[in-house]
Amino acid sequence: MVIFKRFCRSFLNLPLRAKFILSFLAVICLGGILTLTFGTRLEHKTIFSLAQAKVRHDLASAWMVYNEKLNSLKDIIRLTSSRESLYSALKQDKEEILLKYLSRVREEFNLDILTLTDAQGKVFLRTTQPDIKGDDQSKDPLVKRALKNETVSSTQIIPRKELLKEGNELAERAYLEIIPTPKAAPQYEYYEEKGMMLKAASPLVDENGVVLAVLYGGILLNKSHEIVDRVKEIVYKGEKYKGREIGTATIFQHDLRISTNVKNVNGERAIGTRVSNEVSQAVLKEGKPWIDRAFVVNDWYITAYEPIKNVDMEIIGILYVGMLEKPYIDLRNEVMITFSGMAVLCVFLLLVLLFFIISSIINPLKRVVFATNKIAQGDLSHKIEINFQDEIGQLAQSFNQMTLDLKKANQKLIHWGKTLEKRVKERTRKLQEMQDYLIQSEKLASLGKMAAGVAHEINNPLTSILINAHLMLEKTGEKHPFFENISLVADETSRCSDIVKGMLEFSRQNPPKKSYVSMNEIIEHTIKLLENQVAFKDIQIIRKISSNMPQINLDKDKIKQVFWNLMINASEAMPRGGTLTISSNLSKDKKYIETSFEDDGVGIPEENINKLFDPFFTTKGVGTGLGLAVSYGIIKQHQGKIKVKSDAGQGSVFTILLPLTE
Amino acid sequence: MDEKNKKKILVVDDEITVCKSIRQAILSDDYEVDMALSGEEALKKDEDKQYDLIVTDLMMPGITGMDLLKSLKKKKPETNIIMITGYPTIKTAVESIKIGAFDYIPKPFTPAELRSLVFRSFKKSESLEKGEEAPLEIKMPSGLHFMIGHTWLRPEENNIAFVGVVFDFLQTVGEIIYLELPKINDSLNQGELCAKIIDDEKFSYRIWSPASGRVVEINKVLGKDYSLLKKDPYKQGWLFKLDLANWEEDRKGLLLSK
Repeated sequence: MVIFKRFCRSFLNLPLRAKFILSFLAVICLGGILTLTFGTRLEHKTIFSLAQAKVRHDLASAWMVYNEKLNSLKDIIRLTSSRESLYSALKQDKEEILLKYLSRVREEFNLDILTLTDAQGKVFLRTTQPDIKGDDQSKDPLVKRALKNETVSSTQIIPRKELLKEGNELAERAYLEIIPTPKAAPQYEYYEEKGMMLKAASPLVDENGVVLAVLYGGILLNKSHEIVDRVKEIVYKGEKYKGREIGTATIFQHDLRISTNVKNVNGERAIGTRVSNEVSQAVLKEGKPWIDRAFVVNDWYITAYEPIKNVDMEIIGILYVGMLEKPYIDLRNEVMITFSGMAVLCVFLLLVLLFFIISSIINPLKRVVFATNKIAQGDLSHKIEINFQDEIGQLAQSFNQMTLDLKKANQKLIHWGKTLEKRVKERTRKLQEMQDYLIQSEKLASLGKMAAGVAHEINNPLTSILINAHLMLEKTGEKHPFFENISLVADETSRCSDIVKGMLEFSRQNPPKKSYVSMNEIIEHTIKLLENQVAFKDIQIIRKISSNMPQINLDKDKIKQVFWNLMINASEAMPRGGTLTISSNLSKDKKYIETSFEDDGVGIPEENINKLFDPFFTTKGVGTGLGLAVSYGIIKQHQGKIKVKSDAGQGSVFTILLPLTE
Repeated sequence: MDEKNKKKILVVDDEITVCKSIRQAILSDDYEVDMALSGEEALKKDEDKQYDLIVTDLMMPGITGMDLLKSLKKKKPETNIIMITGYPTIKTAVESIKIGAFDYIPKPFTPAELRSLVFRSFKKSESLEKGEEAPLEIKMPSGLHFMIGHTWLRPEENNIAFVGVVFDFLQTVGEIIYLELPKINDSLNQGELCAKIIDDEKFSYRIWSPASGRVVEINKVLGKDYSLLKKDPYKQGWLFKLDLANWEEDRKGLLLSK
């Protein structure tokens, strides 16, 4: 079971082509083996039954030969007995003439015995041994019947005693040593001394029909091969197969071969051997004919056996014919080989045919598999070129359609992926901006709230100062020594008010009041306001301002405020003095005016850079921390950019980019 | 000027310093100036003394300037009231005009600025008392949005609007000797300064913009002939054209002429 399962598994793992071929091969082989088996058996049966029919026919022919011999003996004896000369010689009791005449007949017709008895059955004249006479033969069944005026013939077993009467020579011819034979019936005797004889007897009658004498003659069959050789001659015409006689014939005395042309291993006639026990049982005991293949002496034969009976219908021997089986076997083998060869050829042709048929199925499938692999590897452009309309063709079409759809879907996906990435980037950027904006807005909102409060609180003192300053001015007049001081108070108060207003405006995101101005003027104006301040006492201001910049649309007050903030910051970064470099020029892409404020002060620690533009962020301990936040808001309102670069201890650079066009 | 003819002014502010300063700024031979440090006090004082003008801060604890305005106007509609406003309350100030304030002035201001406003307010009352009526041809045409006694606005196509000064305002001004107009491209906010007028009495008047937006055109003719302003305030005397920035919101603060 386990092995079967393993076989099944390994079979299922085979390539499709092998599976197909193995399956078909199995079917073909099974069919072939079955056909071959049945065919062989049928052929064997046919050939064998043909052979049996032939051998049966041959046995009939053998009987013809046998009986012809017996009949011819009977004729000889009848004709001789009815000869007038014999009758007259007997009448005249001319013994010598009788002997001479009968001896001549015996020799002429090759008879072994020819004997004349009187009317009582006593031997009157014995041609072989004229001296032995007077013995009673009336008990002999043939003589007995002849004495009753009947001519009869039959095969008869002759005891040695009787044979000796006809001469030692005849008795010796009958004598046979029995050769031990395999498959024969158990053997009890070592020799056979009786003889088997074709015998005929005929009466000599007078004109009144009275039996005067009986003439009987016989031919001893023992060691006489005339009949069997004639059978062979007539039936098989002496044909040989590979040096062996095809046909054989044998006469058995009881079960002993006494006359045969079956050869033993030495090439001698196999007389003295016995028939097999099987045949002996069937034929001798049961009196049935036997037709089958049999091992005769040293070869297989297709054989036919039939009992030989005496005049009293007792079985006394067997007549046998046999055909060498080998030609049939060879014929059968030849047929089988031809048959098998044809079968193998057919299988081969079928396999070739199968190979092409399977290929025509597998190859398109392989292309489908190949295409599948291609797709698995990501090549979606592969197309299967199959144009026929069977299932595989439909599969290929569906597959191509699928690939096409897949490709489209994939392209869509790729497109999506690409645009998605772009969208995500875009979105992220917007979110970042939004977040920045929100953070800044939150900061600004709190700044706004604060500024509103501050503005209200500061506006009141400012109002008082402004009013009082002006009232003082009105009272003092221009020539008063404090006039200038008081007007400075008034002016600065106004500026305070403007700053508060700016702060509020910024926190309320009021649109800037823009106009086309020169950047140079703004910078110069801011510098002028600041350079006389104490904070700038030890600071050298270097201008690197391009003279051919176009006018720029901006809110000059707000931008001035930004520059102011940056310059104040720079001065605070250089408490012991230093250099402030202010540069302004057109950006490379000519879209911006780039203004930078570079100091060589203490610089900004890295962790503070991100907080720089937060409202109320300050490291100085003095000031509100609004300066850069307000500046940032103003620059943003102008769609500009503000950048910081700083190395602690090396100074800082603040760069402002303001767009020329919105 | 004798005591009886003196104009009675009440200054209302919750901060005494401011209150005093303002009082000093407007105090003159012609004016009698009282102070109140809250809306409640102001109302009480007004009960006792019928003031010709009340100058009040908008943002005060308790009764605000707006509340005060409303109750005074309810009691005596002809009362002249000038609102003092901080920057954060400019919207409220614009609204106060709608309710009936004569004008407003943002903090901080100079005495001169306040004085001209006070002067103008009395001038307006005088003209009302005299029963002077505007000549027919300079009555405000219908379809104008306006801040009472200040500026008007006439929307045109493409979000552009003409801006001018209403005759009521000009009536209170002497002969104009200087007119300061905004520059092209300037951004203006509603209720904030957009123009200045100086008259022959050297009074400086500030004019509030009726709406937010960007200045796109200036009336050049007006620059050459200031008299056009008074002669034809609603047509040839327009000041500038504004590209409106927040009209839907701004129009709520204005009235529409019939």
